[in-house]
Amino acid sequence: MYDVKAKKVKMKIGQLWENFGLLFLFVVVVIIFSILSPTFRTYYNFANNFRFSSLIGIGAIGMTFCIMSGDFDISIGSMLALVAVIGSSLIPKIGGIGGVLSTIAIASFLGFVNGVFIAKLKIPAFITTLGMLFVFRALAFIYTNNTPVYIQDKFWLFMGNGKVYGIPFAVIVMVICYLSAFLLLRKSPFGRYIIAIGTNKRAAMLSGINVDNVKIIIFTLLGFFIGVASVVTSANLGSANPGLMGQGYEFQVITAVVLGGTSLKGGNGSIGGAFIAAMILTYFKNGLGLLQVSSYWQYIAVGLILILAVTLNRIKYTLLGQVEV
Amino acid sequence: MSKIKYLRVALIIVVSLMLALTFTLAGCKKEAAPEKEEEEVAEEAAPEKKITIGYSLWTMEYTFFQNLEKGVRDACTDLGYEYVMIDQNSDPTKMVQDMNSLVGQGITGMVSTPVDPGAIGPAVEAARDAGIPVVCADIGKSGPVNALIISDNYHGGELAAEYLHELLKDDPNNTWKFGLGNLKPQWTYARERGEGFRDKAEELGYEIASEIIVETASAEGGFDTMQQIISAAPDIVGAFFSSGREAVGAANAVEAAGKDIMVVGYNGDPEELQAIKDGVLTATILQQPYLIGYMSVEILKEIIEDGAEYEDAVVPAPVKLITPDNLDEIAKELEEKRGQPAY
Repeated sequence: MYDVKAKKVKMKIGQLWENFGLLFLFVVVVIIFSILSPTFRTYYNFANNFRFSSLIGIGAIGMTFCIMSGDFDISIGSMLALVAVIGSSLIPKIGGIGGVLSTIAIASFLGFVNGVFIAKLKIPAFITTLGMLFVFRALAFIYTNNTPVYIQDKFWLFMGNGKVYGIPFAVIVMVICYLSAFLLLRKSPFGRYIIAIGTNKRAAMLSGINVDNVKIIIFTLLGFFIGVASVVTSANLGSANPGLMGQGYEFQVITAVVLGGTSLKGGNGSIGGAFIAAMILTYFKNGLGLLQVSSYWQYIAVGLILILAVTLNRIKYTLLGQVEV
Repeated sequence: MSKIKYLRVALIIVVSLMLALTFTLAGCKKEAAPEKEEEEVAEEAAPEKKITIGYSLWTMEYTFFQNLEKGVRDACTDLGYEYVMIDQNSDPTKMVQDMNSLVGQGITGMVSTPVDPGAIGPAVEAARDAGIPVVCADIGKSGPVNALIISDNYHGGELAAEYLHELLKDDPNNTWKFGLGNLKPQWTYARERGEGFRDKAEELGYEIASEIIVETASAEGGFDTMQQIISAAPDIVGAFFSSGREAVGAANAVEAAGKDIMVVGYNGDPEELQAIKDGVLTATILQQPYLIGYMSVEILKEIIEDGAEYEDAVVPAPVKLITPDNLDEIAKELEEKRGQPAY
């Protein structure tokens, strides 16, 4: 028996989850912590969290592109630290604006290098970026002789701490990044190429897409966004530390992207989802901290969230009838 | 489908606006509420403002930091202050976020034990702008902090050199050569231990025959470093390692090499005390994290209640030499303070 009605109901639920699920989860997280913690529900805390969600949020844009195309990159945490120390050490020579621009340029170049290794030399993304995770970190240590670089430049610091009409500048940067990424993914041929490659690489190749080039561009773009995140992060810290910056950043970003509904198998993904997921993670961790939950339990909570996110995605696709094999 | 899309966008906007509004109102309400209470209290009892100390701590994963935290907490209890602690989870970004969050909570004073002392500058500035004094408990500082309370590291190094000299001065096999396992250059304050040791040793007539930086912060790292020191200077009679587990690793390396070299460590970790008990490690310098934590709050009290002036001050906290002779006594003392066995 084939029950059409039941299938329709299931699809409805699946669609509802796809469209409103994350938002619902975010509201639930905010409400629960607001009830439990009086300090959580202050405007200041809310704004502070919003500012800090941009650190994961900006990185998550590039990672969404990357995972949608069926690859991923675990070198971004080390890359974040490396470009921050190089860029901020250039400030005395080329000024704050030059420093910011060169940070982003160097990050894009490192992303490009990753892309070339993966697309042209056909080394799996996992191996390439695992290797680069060590290379970038080591270069950061070597470049700085393991001493942090202090940032005093006003322009650079403004990227993390500045406010425009009361809105943190980091949030404005994040919103601009998200809008352009959204347009790129949904309104340009490049966005469709990403989805095509992630869904079926061979079919994409046969239909005339230059898969190698698209991949290189994806990794370059990821580098670009890591460069932006690097400036914002180091501006928040007032310094760039070769050893401590970006430790575990890759996993926070990948968690946000997966929680945001992007399938690790590629093809399916959501820029807006990554944005809300980055907010969920930031607010969630802040809430646990304010409730004095010990760090061990916080690790467990974040680990479980990641697993839960993948499970929910699977259930969603089952309900929608697009079972992943 | 497109209808749903518009609905979704509309919903996101509505929810964000509602949340923003709720939180603004909640924030205003929260600020308004305590004033009333205070007024009521003021009529009945002496007008006393409630003091809250916020503590941002590197991590709770090591004994050292647990004791530091207990010192801060106990001091707050003793002085009748409210106490809020947030764990940085060893993440500099979270550290800054937490410190800002504490400022937002309207605390009266802040203690910070930063995972990345170079990165607290902007957060300290935000706190000071809000009229909140900031005291760093151990590690280091940056930005306009009021004070840093840190072990008297230089003196600790001196104590180590003096003790080794005490044991060796009448030894006919004394070659007057020491080894030194030092820390990485960025640990500005902790490196003073090595400087104190070197200066005192040279004053007493010794030569530092080999100095190597411990690259990996672990017992294994100490083991490797000691092996290198022994290869470089096989005739040393004593060595000083500027940190705890590393010193135990170094002492084990001496045993493995079948040498007769005395090793003194620095910290007073349970591993070190056990190693002294077992006769592997010669001695160690005890840091008193509980005391450092306690002193931090006392200094905040001076600033907040007594109007004392502290700007960018460095306050040394006393250290103690632990030898096999006073091990039991000190272990008992530590157990009383920490509420758990010292080793």
